[in-house]
Amino acid sequence: MSKRQALSALALAGVFLALYLTLFKLGYVGHLVCGTGDCEKVQTSRWSTLFGYPIAAWGLGYYLSVFLVATAGTTERWEAERWPSLVLAALTTWGVLFSGFLTYLEIAEIHAICRYCVVSAVLTVVLWIVSMLEWRESRAES
Amino acid sequence: MAKKSVKKTQNKSFIGILVAIGLVGVAAIGYLTTRSNDVQVMRIDTSVPIGKAESYLIGREDAPVQVVEFADFECPACGSWASLTEPDVRSRLIQTGTMSLRFYDFPLPMHKNTWAASNAVACAAEQGKFVEMHDQLFQAQNEWNGEATSKPKGKFMEYAKSFALDMAKFEDCFDSQRMIPRIKGNRAEAERRMIAQTPTFIIGDKQYPGDVPFDQFKKAVEDELAKKTAAAPKDAKK
Repeated sequence: MSKRQALSALALAGVFLALYLTLFKLGYVGHLVCGTGDCEKVQTSRWSTLFGYPIAAWGLGYYLSVFLVATAGTTERWEAERWPSLVLAALTTWGVLFSGFLTYLEIAEIHAICRYCVVSAVLTVVLWIVSMLEWRESRAES
Repeated sequence: MAKKSVKKTQNKSFIGILVAIGLVGVAAIGYLTTRSNDVQVMRIDTSVPIGKAESYLIGREDAPVQVVEFADFECPACGSWASLTEPDVRSRLIQTGTMSLRFYDFPLPMHKNTWAASNAVACAAEQGKFVEMHDQLFQAQNEWNGEATSKPKGKFMEYAKSFALDMAKFEDCFDSQRMIPRIKGNRAEAERRMIAQTPTFIIGDKQYPGDVPFDQFKKAVEDELAKKTAAAPKDAKK
């Protein structure tokens, strides 16, 4: 499996995670199932929306973007191109910084940890590492 | 040729992995969504009519600023506000006579034991111990909430005993559910005001949703007080 394929698969998992959290925030899922941590507190805090949209929906957009770019980068048409690597590196760097900020908010401001957010943060870091390796590889090839 | 074949196999397994993730994702969301609907342990008689909304008052009835709170006893954000912020609100704004707090129950359907909790609070309030039961339930959410038990009555009885309530009266009140019309009325009031989350505070003509920090809460109360004070001399001149 190529690194772009791995990025695509990881991002798809992120899409479902963010989709679940978005559905909860929008009221389609009644009760956030969370055995440990305090997802409901995080999801109902004042930090749970940005520019009027749920943070989870922004996350959904992020994972969808990574998924689409990574998947496009695996097609015959673009697999030899460098731009998907650059876009993925830029997207995941932004993602890891934003995710770091959200984790800081959970710890310092909301005083609650949601395990779904932790999974998303780990996923974001893994996506960033793989995309950096992929970018380095594409630079070496060019 | 061999390279092409390896690539073809790689692509096939990639598509297989994506399909597998898709199936697992859809199944997981479906499962979590269905599981989450298994709520509300206390059976509420649906034929019981909705009563008149009747809040619980903390502070002076004639305080210049009247703040309204809509909260759910099982909601973690409500518990956090009640345990961490409300003590400051009471000592610095309510006890000084600046404001009073009118509490309305807003039991949300996703919480298993919240109706039972509102019922226990109403029964304690009947014996003049609203504040004690309110504080206890919020501080000890982990002892009686839907995650901890499906039979919270025992805990509520324990708390009631510690406040020296008339236990026979409390239990009769709890079991008969005669306070349910009032709780239904308070919930209906929240719906009428289109409250979207708990806790939500109404200060003046503004809604403040969420676990509002003390500084923001105090500023909103002081702004409202300033508005009232500015309007008062004009009213007096008339």
